This record gives sequence, structure tokens and C-alpha cells, in this order.
Amino acid sequence: MKRRLFIATSISAALSSCAPIGTKLNDNHGFHSFLESAEGLNEVAIGTRGRATLYSPSDISNDFPIDSLDTPSDSTYSGLVGDGFRSYRLVVNGLVDRPQALTLPALHGLMQMSQITRHDCVEGWSVIAQWQGARLADVIAMAVPRHGARYAVFHTFDRDANGTPYYESLSLEQAAHPQTLLALRQNGSPIVPDHGAPVRLTVPTQLGYKSAKWVHRIEIVASLSPIGSGKGGYWEDQGYEWYAGI
Amino acid sequence: MEKRKVVYRHSVAMRLTHWLFFIAFLVLISSGLQIFNAAPYLDASNKTEPARRVLQIGSPADGVGTLTIFRHTFKTTGWLGWTDDGMGGKTTRAFPAWITIPSYQDLADGRRWHLFFAWIMIVCGVVYIVWGLGRHDLRELILRPRDIPKILPMQLYYLRLRKEAPPHGKYNPLQKTAYTLVIFVLAPLLVLSGFALSPGFDAWMPWLPHVLGGRQFARLWHFVAMIALIGFFLTHIVLVATTGVLNHLRSMITGYYRLGAHDGTGI
Repeated sequence: MKRRLFIATSISAALSSCAPIGTKLNDNHGFHSFLESAEGLNEVAIGTRGRATLYSPSDISNDFPIDSLDTPSDSTYSGLVGDGFRSYRLVVNGLVDRPQALTLPALHGLMQMSQITRHDCVEGWSVIAQWQGARLADVIAMAVPRHGARYAVFHTFDRDANGTPYYESLSLEQAAHPQTLLALRQNGSPIVPDHGAPVRLTVPTQLGYKSAKWVHRIEIVASLSPIGSGKGGYWEDQGYEWYAGI
Repeated sequence: MEKRKVVYRHSVAMRLTHWLFFIAFLVLISSGLQIFNAAPYLDASNKTEPARRVLQIGSPADGVGTLTIFRHTFKTTGWLGWTDDGMGGKTTRAFPAWITIPSYQDLADGRRWHLFFAWIMIVCGVVYIVWGLGRHDLRELILRPRDIPKILPMQLYYLRLRKEAPPHGKYNPLQKTAYTLVIFVLAPLLVLSGFALSPGFDAWMPWLPHVLGGRQFARLWHFVAMIALIGFFLTHIVLVATTGVLNHLRSMITGYYRLGAHDGTGI
């Protein structure tokens, strides 16, 4: 009986110490880097293959949550909302031969793609919406990236409460995926400010945080380390994976 | 105590994968509950759809925690919904801090732990199955058609409604049923439903989330498979503890098992 009591006690002790030990290790920098090594494995194993599943209009969700970040409220953005985005320009610059400054009519003039895809949030929820816009690949190609260019960085109008800019990035391979769009319309109407007006990214092969809202500049770069805290995005700088295919 | 015959029961690979799997299992539960806390509901659907909600953990008011299963709501204050926040207070939080990794709410780090240890579990599982089938360790654990008629008599024996266990080999028919279900049904379901949550995997192999009923349904499967494996784990612990715990522990550490009174009726 004593022996059983001993075993029961040790098992309970082992189970209840799991979270505290885990938390201690989590705060250890070396161990944390070790955990982060799984990201490379995920990228190799899953990568960006195939095409996101397409849905029918009847599958479209009634509600699309506005998550995490507040719609920009600074004078630049509210000024653009005020003039119906007539003075909006999507700048494509950085390591390119032909920098661009595209108006909304110019973006509408590019080949328009329409797709009904599922947006998968890192938190676990999913919504289905229809997106219409230009292929990111077409816009990047207009700017003619130079030799050595590896990433597209998306700068947005958004700031968090501390003033840290919200940005995102994709490798040029991921950016070339034909379903990665610079969306101008959502469910048949121009994208509203809460959902990223006038131009947002949609990357249906990765988690929702890669689909940056309120994009105003695409910077083509060779390395992500000089931007923000160097991890390739606002959420990546907070510890989320840069490769968000899983 | 009389000297009993000692046999070599578990190969090095089986022992190593057993313990690594155990550690990964604990970490995956704790970090999985951390991830669940970010969206504490499960829908039997592809997209999020409250009309097809199976389970929800919530806090309808400060100081109250609830668990809702198929529209039946239970008050779970302190355990689920309104729980310990890991920083000395109570808050709206599905699973409490003492059971999650890290203890405080941190989805990014929960995912780092989960996705790292998921690979450990997958590698262990593959080595266990390939090695086990190759080296016979596992062949004796697989349920075969001839074992099926013996399942009921064995259950009666466990329930003490029958004096003798039906004749069987190294493992009895109930052990075989449990292990076969765990190794070939539950563990693969756990791994596959996990991959079905990945948008990248969905684009690559859309049939997988499709057969599971979609992404949100895959979350439900993932959760159900976890609950079932916890059930197996607790049964396993009880049986180990009641049929010569030191002998079992020794055999899973050194490989050597002493045959005796509990032989064939244990884990």
C-alpha cells in the first residue's frame, strides 16, 4: 500500500510540475532557440505546395472577425479615407530596377483574380471570404527585382498602441504563389477600412497574420534583419513563426 | 522471496521511444491546452460556425467559468473558463495556468513547444512502429482475428466475474485491443488531425482536412483523440501501479522483466 501511495504521489508530482518546469525552460533563451528550430523543419516538410482549396459563394462566412489590431486612426490614413483613397499610392521599391507608385485605378487595371478561400487564424478560428485583386507576383514583376532580392516586405498604415509599425514579409517564392493576392475587394465590395482598405494582402496558404492589412509599400530586400526587430514581421517580432504554413 | 525467471522484454529502441513519447505527450497536452485557450471552442464544421458548436469554455460574467457541451452548460469556475492566470490572479481563461506551457497566456510560445514536440512524437511513433514490427516486439501486441472471441472472457476476468483468464500469449486480448487502437488508430488520428489544421498542408493535401470534415472539425478530432489518449494513459498507469510497479518500471528502463503472479494480466 505504501508503495502505491509513493507511486501515486510521484505521478501527481510529475504531472503538476510539468507546467512550472516548462515555464522555466520557456524563459531560458538557449532552450527557446532550440524549440524554434522546428520552424525550419515545418518549412521544409510543408512549404508552399499546391493550391488552397476554393469554396463556393454559399460557403462565405457572415462575419469576418476584425482581430487584434485597431484600424489606423492617424491623420494620413483618415485623410486617405476622406478622399476616397484618390491620393493613395502603392509604392514598390527597394532592390528593384523600376520602382513603382501605383494608384488604385492602376491596380484595378491589372489582371483581376477572384477567389473564395478560407482564412485560418493562428488562434484557431477560420472564416471563408471572397477576394478580388491583382496577383502579388504581377505587381512585383512590374518593379523588376534585382539580383540578390529575396523577400518582399509589406509596410502598412498600422501602428500598435506603442507606435510600433505593423509589417509583414514573404519570400519571393511565397510571393510568387498564384493565389497570393493584393486584394481590392472583399465579398464583392471594396474592402472597408476595418478589413484593410484600400489594399490588403491575402495569403491563403499561410496563417492569417501573414495577410497584412492597409498595405502602402512593398519593399524588396535581400535580408529581413534590418527591419523592425529583424524577424520579418510585427507578429514574428513577438515570437510567432515567420513560416506560418502551420 | 522465491527466485523467478527473468526475461528480456523490451528492446532499447522500444524503451527509448516509450519514455520520449511520454515526455512529448505531457508537453503536447500542456502546450495544446495553451493553444486551445486562444479560441476555446470546437465546431463540427470547416469554418468557425457557432451553430455547429460542440464544445465551448467561457466566462459569461467575471468570476464565473462555464463548460458548454452540446448546449448543456456546467459551472466550472476555478477549473475551466474563469481560472488562475499564472500571475497570482484569476481571469477569463479556458484552461488554468497550472496545466499549460507556458503557465501565462502566450500563444506564440505555446505553438513553439507544440510544434517542436509534435516532431519528437512523430519520430518516436515511426521508430516505434517500424522497429517494433521488424523486431517482433510489436507483432505480439497487434490484435488478430483469433483474439476477438477472447475479448469478452478477458473483460469478465478483469471484472472478477470469471475465475480464469482465457489462454493467450505474451499479451492478453484486451491489452492487444487497447494497444492496437492506440498505435494504429488514435495516435495516427492525433497526428493527421494536427496536420489538417495547417493551411499549408491543406493546400498541399486537401483530401486530409476534407475527410476529417474541415479545419474546425479537425480541431475537434484533435481534441477528442487527446482525451481518448489521456484515458488510455490513466488506465495504463493504474494497471502498471497494481501489477508490480517496480518490475514494470525496471523492464521499461533496463529491459528485463521478472515473470510472476501478474504475468499476462498487467499492462
